[in-house]
Amino acid sequence: MSIPQTTKQTVTLRVLRGTVTGGKLVQRTQDFQVPYDITTTVLHALEWVKAELDGSLTFRRSCRASICGSCAMVVNGRSRLACKTKVTDLLGGNEAKNIAGSVAMIGEANVIEVGPQRNQPVLKDLVVDIEPFYNKVKKILPYVQDGAEKQEHVTKDSFAQVNMVSNCIMCGACYSDCTALVENPDFFGPAALAKAYRFVADPREGNKTARLKELSEKNGVWDCTRCGMCIDACPKGVAPMEAIVKLRSLAMEAGITHTEGAKHAMAFKGDIATWGVLNEPFMLLKTKGIMGAIGQLPNALNLAKVGKIPNPFPFDHKVEGLHEVKAIYAELKKNPLDVKTKAADSGPGAG
Amino acid sequence: MAKHDIVIIGAGLAGLRAAFEGVTAGLNTAVVSKIHPLRSHSCAAQGGVNAAINPKDDWHDHAYDTVKGADFVGDQDSIDLLCSEAPQAVLDLDKMGCPFSREEDGTIAQRAFGGQNFARTAYAADRTGHAMLHTLWEQAIKYGVKVYDEYFLMELTTDAGRASGAVVMDIRSGKLEHLQAKAVCIATGGYGRLFAANTNAMTNTGDGIAHAMRAGAPAADLEFVQFHPTGLLRSGILISEGVRGEGAYLIGADGQRFMQKYAPNKLELASRDVVSRSMVTEINSGNGNNGGVFLDVRHLGRNLILERLPQIRQLAMDFEGVDPIDEPIPVRPTCHYTMGGIRTDKWGQSIGLKGLFAAGESACVSVHGANRLGANSLLETIVFGKITGKDMVDFIKNREGRDGAATDGSHAVAKVSARIAALKARPRDGGVRQNDIRQTLMDEMQENCAVFRDEARLGKAWDAITTAKAGVAKLYVDDKSDAFNTDVITALELENLVLLGEATVATAIERTESRGAHSRTDFPTRDDEKWMTHITSHFDKATGNVTLGRDPVRTTGNPQYAPAERKY
Repeated sequence: MSIPQTTKQTVTLRVLRGTVTGGKLVQRTQDFQVPYDITTTVLHALEWVKAELDGSLTFRRSCRASICGSCAMVVNGRSRLACKTKVTDLLGGNEAKNIAGSVAMIGEANVIEVGPQRNQPVLKDLVVDIEPFYNKVKKILPYVQDGAEKQEHVTKDSFAQVNMVSNCIMCGACYSDCTALVENPDFFGPAALAKAYRFVADPREGNKTARLKELSEKNGVWDCTRCGMCIDACPKGVAPMEAIVKLRSLAMEAGITHTEGAKHAMAFKGDIATWGVLNEPFMLLKTKGIMGAIGQLPNALNLAKVGKIPNPFPFDHKVEGLHEVKAIYAELKKNPLDVKTKAADSGPGAG
Repeated sequence: MAKHDIVIIGAGLAGLRAAFEGVTAGLNTAVVSKIHPLRSHSCAAQGGVNAAINPKDDWHDHAYDTVKGADFVGDQDSIDLLCSEAPQAVLDLDKMGCPFSREEDGTIAQRAFGGQNFARTAYAADRTGHAMLHTLWEQAIKYGVKVYDEYFLMELTTDAGRASGAVVMDIRSGKLEHLQAKAVCIATGGYGRLFAANTNAMTNTGDGIAHAMRAGAPAADLEFVQFHPTGLLRSGILISEGVRGEGAYLIGADGQRFMQKYAPNKLELASRDVVSRSMVTEINSGNGNNGGVFLDVRHLGRNLILERLPQIRQLAMDFEGVDPIDEPIPVRPTCHYTMGGIRTDKWGQSIGLKGLFAAGESACVSVHGANRLGANSLLETIVFGKITGKDMVDFIKNREGRDGAATDGSHAVAKVSARIAALKARPRDGGVRQNDIRQTLMDEMQENCAVFRDEARLGKAWDAITTAKAGVAKLYVDDKSDAFNTDVITALELENLVLLGEATVATAIERTESRGAHSRTDFPTRDDEKWMTHITSHFDKATGNVTLGRDPVRTTGNPQYAPAERKY
């Protein structure tokens, strides 16, 4: 235990504990007073409670050095690795300071709230059932496959392509904080899709296009809401959402444009290029088709009643400076964005 | 009861590599792991994996470096196998899709490591073990290895002197099950958690070695425990050898470098055992601070630190509260790796229990002897995981393993069930808290059985073991429930650690010389006349104590491998 016996200051560790009896989860919070100093992590605090006060407190842990991914849990409202989160970083306004630009969820002073990961069933205290998460990873066929698109020769750049997503430790923090999963529990989730990108980007992979087709279907890359929570939650800098966006671009480049998501993206692009603004009723038509759009009529009528349907014929709606928007598109056409990862921005240890 | 051809305990690199051989040979192969396979401690290996891939390199040189690094008690046939098979083992992983770092021309990149004459360490950035582990897990999914995820080993079963399976606990429900097998492989890693300061995961409690000993398979080389020079003082988290490679100094409390006194040529880059001994000598002579010395990178300058050592800086700030740009980092020698394990033949089968195999850190095929070279541990997992896997397949298809074991395991399950019930029933009044036993044991081992040993200290360590054994008999748990009872699991892990502690201290007392990581101040020199041998540890079922034996070092007659003075 690395908590020094001499330390006098204590923090309240408020743990959301849970037991499942007869298939039903019952949860309650329990407070523990835990000594700490500047090196104490949330995992140290949990270990101290388990060792000294209550051996029944249950959580997963192993490496203590943020590489095994066991101890991801919700700490003060955010999914993080307990072993990497220092107590002092959560106290006295330090959290807001440390997580620049985010809305820090600070409750009472000197209280740290710890709970199990979200979007997954709780088994006991801080332990969740990780099987659904891993089943989705398995669903994307997480291994290099033989096939027509396999390249035998790899280059230094090959490693850079997969470097950032290879950092993933499958801790589930992104899955726990994913907002798309709240709405659609069948969504593959950020980690599985980042793993899928790892194979699509690998020159040794033989079925890149087949993978992109599969990933473009329901519960795949187009179900992401691009909220960015997974980027914030990831303790290893994997940025799953960026991988998802890359998969979308690669799918469209490969001509996989029949999906609603792809059509929506193309309609979006077309509208901006033509008008500089979105024509929402027509976008609906382009995304969902005529029958799909008719299906949305009740929604549209409700919106129309409260004046939320814009004029679908925006001939006087062009934005000021449309030529500048067009210039951006012209420039992009001349110099298309390379969606592949550059060695320079592919994280520590590249090359 | 479930029946499998092969049951492998442990889902790190060695276990998954062995499973690959079993499943691709068409055998019903299962892997049991107390944590999800991707949580295995193999993932924490940073530096790389040695292999003479480069056409200018020669595996014979790699083998010589390894024999010498082992201080001449490594088994020469195993070492030849390790090094000659290394290039293919690494290329296998590459073919499976492991994202190794690349040279400009696309070949696998290699870097230099300590104690070797060639830059032969292949790597995947600074997370080689992680990349390899994910790759082998991917293969396990691809080929349909049955994984018992979060199942804990309770007992190995035997039938007519042969391994016949394992009783395991489904951690999620607490239910016990017997898995019957024609061949059983232990791949549960080492027992570094025996020491207060260590770089190991909290799960590295040597469960498989302890249970193999109880089942009648001897262990060997348990006295050889590697202490890495630079673990962070308080947490034991590893600060890579690469920092000294960048030019870091070791300094004492007086602010002065001291390595010139101990290794005038290599200084801070001498071999691990030498540097660790030098640090402890300084600490013991009053030049330490809170039981550690300092790793100083300030002279390297802010820019270099930010550019090349950002993760190290972060670790020092997070876990020691020190910014290395302004202050030296408190470090101390930290238990890193256990060279000993289940004694096997060159193909990975136990020398004492037929049908039981072992691979990786839990095995003593003895490629490391008295001291392991950096980046040979990952190599051992993939070479001997493969070789042992193949030997199990051969054992089942062509040898004694053809006839399945008959044990149904119900008797063993009942026995284990009663043991757990007794543990849960033990009263708090008059009982001992498991943390008190564990902390005292780890502190005493660190104090008396670590970098320097002598008769008096080892006597104290022996007393600590006796106390721990008595404590375990009175240990009580707070959690009486069935589901996910980690209180019971950690108590059982502690029992395993205590057994391995007993064997470690007993063998350290027995070996009256200094060799590799085993350094006796009362016997400061190497004694090749008497001690060119392995000491084996056996569990005596009648008394519950450890007894000792001998097993000769396997030699090949290669004159190059004759013992010589070990200088770097």
